[in-house]
Amino acid sequence: MNLDNISVVITGGASGLGAGAAKLFIDKGAKVAIFDRNLDLAQTTATELGCAAVQCDVADEASVIAALAQAGEINGTPRILVNCAGIDITGRTATKGGPQPREALTQQIAVNLTGTFNICRFGADAIRQLDDLEGEEQGVIVNVASIAGLDGPFGQTAYAATKAAVIGMTLPMARDLSAYGIRVVTIAPGVFNTPLAASVLRGEPDDYAGSVPFPKRAGKPAEFASMAVEICQNPMLNGEVIRLDGALRG
Amino acid sequence: MNVEGQVALITGGASGLGAGAARILSKAGAKCALLDRNLALATELAEELGGMAVECDVSDGPAVEAAIAQVVEKLGAPRIVLNAAGIDIAVRTASAKGPHPLDEFERVIRVNLTGTFNVARVAAYGMIGLDTLDDDGERGVVINIASVVAQDGPVGQAAYAASKAGVQGMTLPMARDLAPYGIRVMTIAPGMFETPLAAGIPQDWIDNIIPTVPFPKRWGNPLEFGALVQQICENTMLNGEMIRIDGAIRMGT
Repeated sequence: MNLDNISVVITGGASGLGAGAAKLFIDKGAKVAIFDRNLDLAQTTATELGCAAVQCDVADEASVIAALAQAGEINGTPRILVNCAGIDITGRTATKGGPQPREALTQQIAVNLTGTFNICRFGADAIRQLDDLEGEEQGVIVNVASIAGLDGPFGQTAYAATKAAVIGMTLPMARDLSAYGIRVVTIAPGVFNTPLAASVLRGEPDDYAGSVPFPKRAGKPAEFASMAVEICQNPMLNGEVIRLDGALRG
Repeated sequence: MNVEGQVALITGGASGLGAGAARILSKAGAKCALLDRNLALATELAEELGGMAVECDVSDGPAVEAAIAQVVEKLGAPRIVLNAAGIDIAVRTASAKGPHPLDEFERVIRVNLTGTFNVARVAAYGMIGLDTLDDDGERGVVINIASVVAQDGPVGQAAYAASKAGVQGMTLPMARDLAPYGIRVMTIAPGMFETPLAAGIPQDWIDNIIPTVPFPKRWGNPLEFGALVQQICENTMLNGEMIRIDGAIRMGT
């Protein structure tokens, strides 16, 4: 899809991978709305990048409906949805301190999995009702999983479960939406330089890059953005999960 | 890496996916060396793109070394290697006609798997002696071509699927082998693309398969394959991974 003048929603767009993606989509001529729970931060980022900021809790259905409507009023109905919103609560399944709190799983499912699904189902339903664009394509969904969903690092049981679920949704969702000309592709990032990675690793992501074969550093949000843009521009990419990790196996 | 000014060595570069990638990389400023068994066809495209053509059978060790030496001398040392040379046959493991001929199986392995490895090892060795390009220490990128057939396993494709699953399986160890030298290794697994190789597929099979592509319901264009090649070259975080580019097709489902 040619990104020029296309309305794009990027959840979790106030920081990290989402902010990186927002910058590149804007450079490519897209009209971007960043969704974030933190409206202040979203507005600061949006002002810096020159795009719209919308308050949204992706786990909350009413909030998603309202935010998508607001993005539609500002930029037109979004045809590209980039689901970067996510949380990571680390903790072992059981330790001498006791079993892991159930909320570690339920909260991450609400944001990482249900939140992603919420944006996809309401966003796709809106694309479905639009007048057809010229050409074959009507929309693109880029979901964000994690190599944790494939590699299973310790302390990541709950997070890995939610990201494995995002990976699992990719192909059936691509098949579901193919009739409407909407593609679905998932990126599984490794260690990236983001606030989420910094909080989980309790330090600079680059300090944890020693086990990355090449390049020996954390990924840059701009590199995530480049992959996301290529996915949107290349109509043959569909139903696939792409690891973006410098060959790291966690 | 920025592809502008780099030398890209493309096997099977005279036609199909290799030619599609050559067009995209040339447009982005790379100097393309097209290695192909069909020198006339390779020469025609090389003249159009301002690159060079070399006759080469990728499964032949000394021939690959000689071909790469020719490229180094004329264009400079390649930092981008795309292994697009490949052959396909459609024969069942056993049928009323008899068992699958072993020499046919071995021929497919020799070109698709050994040929890919052959070019990768010689070209990567050449890159090790080059200066690094940036603060990451990147020296080059090797891009191999597998196929969705390797994962999906359609009928009559035992030899082809084995060769392509071999290419898939090499991806991660090769990436780890070459990581200390700043050389990345990626594999692309294409679905149905409009190429001379696909022209050998029986028409009734094609008539049945294209409608099973979820979206887009058509052949892939080699230029779309080329766009992904360029992304892989430019995106340093892509390493040790195989990417399906197939419109979400799963063959045999």
